[in-house]
Amino acid sequence: MESKVDTRYWRFCAWMGPLFVAVFFYCWGILGHNFPPFAPDTPASEVAGWFRDNRDGVRLGMVIAMTFAPAYGVWGYALAKVLEQAVGGNKPGDNILVQLARVGAAWTTITVLVPTSFWLTAAFRPDALPDWMIQMLYDMAWLLIDLAYAVTSVQLFALGVGFLADKRAVPLIPKWLAWYGIWVGFMFILECVMPYFFNGAFARNGILNFWIEFIIWMVWVPALTFFALKAIKRIEQE
Amino acid sequence: MHGKAENSGIEGARLAVIPGDSGVWVFIFADMCAFAVFFLLFSVGRVAQPELYEAARQQLDLQLGLANTLILLTSGAFMAAAARTARAGNVQGTLHNLLLTLGVGSLFGLSKAVEWSAKFNHGIGLTTNEFFTYYFVFTGIHFLHFVIGLGVLLVLIARVRDISVQGGAMDGASLRWIEAGGAYWHMVDLLWIVLFAMLYLMRAA
Repeated sequence: MESKVDTRYWRFCAWMGPLFVAVFFYCWGILGHNFPPFAPDTPASEVAGWFRDNRDGVRLGMVIAMTFAPAYGVWGYALAKVLEQAVGGNKPGDNILVQLARVGAAWTTITVLVPTSFWLTAAFRPDALPDWMIQMLYDMAWLLIDLAYAVTSVQLFALGVGFLADKRAVPLIPKWLAWYGIWVGFMFILECVMPYFFNGAFARNGILNFWIEFIIWMVWVPALTFFALKAIKRIEQE
Repeated sequence: MHGKAENSGIEGARLAVIPGDSGVWVFIFADMCAFAVFFLLFSVGRVAQPELYEAARQQLDLQLGLANTLILLTSGAFMAAAARTARAGNVQGTLHNLLLTLGVGSLFGLSKAVEWSAKFNHGIGLTTNEFFTYYFVFTGIHFLHFVIGLGVLLVLIARVRDISVQGGAMDGASLRWIEAGGAYWHMVDLLWIVLFAMLYLMRAA
């Protein structure tokens, strides 16, 4: 006799993903002048001047962004619950892909929290800091958030490969979306060249290393949530 | 048909390391889109600085580029042969063709290593100029695709070898994987041909 899967709170947790993207986009991106970021060749005086003029907005943005950073992890755990049902088996929670999907989401939360605190530091007492130091904090935060891509790739690959293992005739998560996630995880590798460029396509504000990289990830979160919510309904009916 | 398959339970359990289906085409399509953006960026850059691009292009080793192309085309032909033999149910033939695909294809890695080391030894690197930035990043990303392709080939070879050892027949899932792996390998091949034409052959000025 198989007992019914307890799906309480799954939906709530799954909604945390799109919520995270929306809050992060506005607070970190717009209020924090990170969407798009200052080009690396922007003079230190310009970056510092902007932080001094907009310190309140940046502080508000970063405080809210840090508060909502765990939402990404919560979402990742909900996805891992759906993944358990996709991989099946006796103890799906012990499946290494499920564990990697969880830990990838948890690590990603850290790689969002830590650099956000650097931007917050730059806005904390910008009058007391020299221009170059504000620029350094801004650079440091960007280098960390971009180069921590591999942590998120762990989650992307684990979810992708795991959802492909679904033996159902109609899988819980469509295979094309599983493949898309694997592709996104793979594309992140472009971030490796980001520290070499101060302008152009590969710079942190460039067409490839900013616009394409961030958008393909930000699209993946709500797309996967949409299908995860449908999958939860099916799991309840199975 | 091909004798008894004593341990048929092994199929799907141990061999399905990477589960597969036609969804691989989504990956291929998305990847082609990414490369389309690469080509667009390169073209825009070349229009802006034709002399720089032409001077840099002439520093590339055309012979090695051509060798790379021939290597991948030959390897691709063996891959196509592997798909044909697999469809015909010829397990041994498939195994041989896959091994040849891997063997010939591996030479691409060797040739790329020679080419890149020569560039580094001449003091040419990622940030030398815009042309070489694109050259190293695009061929680098392509190389990564190639390495993943080698991994896929190894998985396919292991799978077909197990069928061969058990004296079993080519099953539907294995055939689908060989075709999906083949599609990926041909993409690696195709992307290189476009890169070769764009970087090595097209005159900018």
